[in-house]
Amino acid sequence: MAAPLVKAVLGSSDLTLSVRSAVLRFPGFTQVRWSRYSPEFRDPQIDKDYHRKPWAELTEEEKFERELRKTQPIKAARSANTSSVFEDPVISKFTNMMMKGGNKVLARSLMTQATIERNPYTIFHQALKNCEPVIGLAPILKGGRFYQVPVPLSDRRRRFLAMKWMITECREKKHRRTLMPEKLSQELLQAFHNQGPVVKRKHDMHKMAEANRALAHYRWW
Amino acid sequence: MAASCVSCGAVVSQRLLLRPRVSLAPRQVLWRAAELQSVPGPQILRLKHVTVVTTKKNVKALRRETYTVDFIKKQIEEFNIGKRHLANMMGEDPETFTQEDIDRAIAYLFPSGLFEKRARPVMKHPEQIFPKQKATQWGEDGRPFHYLFYTGKQSYYSLMHDTYGKILDIEKHKNQLQAKGLFSEKDKTTDLIGSRWLIKEELEEMLVEKLSDQDYAQFVRLMERLLQGGAAGEFVQSFRRSVTVQSEKQPIEPVQHDAQGMAFSTSEGRRKSAKAEAVVYEHGNGRIKINGIDYLLYFPVLQDREQLMFPFHFLDRLGKHDVTCTVSGGGRSAQAGAIRLAMARALCSFVTEEEVEWMRQAGLLTSDPRVRERKKPGQEGARRKFTWKKR
Repeated sequence: MAAPLVKAVLGSSDLTLSVRSAVLRFPGFTQVRWSRYSPEFRDPQIDKDYHRKPWAELTEEEKFERELRKTQPIKAARSANTSSVFEDPVISKFTNMMMKGGNKVLARSLMTQATIERNPYTIFHQALKNCEPVIGLAPILKGGRFYQVPVPLSDRRRRFLAMKWMITECREKKHRRTLMPEKLSQELLQAFHNQGPVVKRKHDMHKMAEANRALAHYRWW
Repeated sequence: MAASCVSCGAVVSQRLLLRPRVSLAPRQVLWRAAELQSVPGPQILRLKHVTVVTTKKNVKALRRETYTVDFIKKQIEEFNIGKRHLANMMGEDPETFTQEDIDRAIAYLFPSGLFEKRARPVMKHPEQIFPKQKATQWGEDGRPFHYLFYTGKQSYYSLMHDTYGKILDIEKHKNQLQAKGLFSEKDKTTDLIGSRWLIKEELEEMLVEKLSDQDYAQFVRLMERLLQGGAAGEFVQSFRRSVTVQSEKQPIEPVQHDAQGMAFSTSEGRRKSAKAEAVVYEHGNGRIKINGIDYLLYFPVLQDREQLMFPFHFLDRLGKHDVTCTVSGGGRSAQAGAIRLAMARALCSFVTEEEVEWMRQAGLLTSDPRVRERKKPGQEGARRKFTWKKR
């Protein structure tokens, strides 16, 4: 294997002290293979509040650690990390994992576009709206038989049906141990995403109406 | 002795002696016909044989050269005499001629155009040139002097043994004190921070013995245990080397004043192949101009602008400085990193020492040494190997 480059090219002589050839090995530190930094370089501490803590508030261990840090050389801060409040290490990691071919710009834009709705009112309203059927069925007596005829619904009727279905679903189709609020929240979230049994019921209603399309002229209003 | 001579005029009897010794490194020996001498008279036929060096390694050279004590002493005497001569030659006082003077004199008298510094002529004390070796460790009768000779690493094991003995002594002493009730918790000495343990190479040099990594780890563990016992005496100090206490050998730029009397400070930064120079004004609105272009237009990507913001946000000085910088080379991210470093360095002049230390610990003042790793032959990229095909 080719020997690692000993001298730093950029002329900063106080860094990668060309001790690479005689590798410094401390018992507690594992060396990462092929790192440009010598093993004694520590990771940077970006958190602003860590440094601004007054001396009196620190415990013994922290004081010792602070003193120790003063003697250790520190690596440069990464270009993806800042001390900003919006910075989240887990999200940064996730963005890097989503990155393909080094296209950080694209990965970051995808992450910023991926939003999670958190406002409960928005979720509630949208869920109910997703559950409202567009067209309903009415039983019409013709020639001794009741036919299910597709019929337009008024706003009020639609809202009523959405809520009715939602409540029925929550009451009847749940495990005996789950409480109502929990079940309700689950169903609302599912309906918000156009999934779940309530929306399925709406779709069934629509399919029935579509199937009985031919009977539409039985309606006289 | 089986000499590695290529040709020698050997007498027959010597040749007979040679035969049993040469079993290790067989050499083909060509006998050249004895040459008739041109001088008339009784001719002595001298057998000339020429040895051809075969592909087998020269066994003699594999053994390490041993330097006797007398040899080293002689070398030291010669070095000292040579030093005085050199001092006379250079017209300086032989008494106060230091190693640096010697180096300068040699560089002057033997100018070398070689690039490799270690290949240039050098005149150093023989201790530094000849590797340290152990004297013979057994006497006339073949019995070794040291009781741990047969461990193979006698100095190392005797050191460990002594250290352990000291630990036991300390514990016994502590038990005695505790029995009497005079024991008190002493606080640990804080000189642990300013010094470090010997590294493996230094320890090997000290003991003149080869050590393995496990040996070294065991040594450090034992020393730590000794330290915990509380005795940070001379014995332990001899195994510690001091470390530069403050790693902030940070040159702080002086504050300059321009024509209008505004205070500013300049510094440079580099990252990959981008070079940047930043001029940070002490009072301003937070405008940043790069190569004459506003930062919003120069860096359309959010990440780069965050990098520009980082040093200021870290010190809570977001809207308080104006910056003008020039940058060239590198890519988008490298230029941002270079400017960030330059700005952080320039900010050092307007900020307290404590804050400079905070910046250093946040990694803002270290220049990033990471560069693109080269592609290696036999691989597709720097790390990626070619696709493995079974057949």
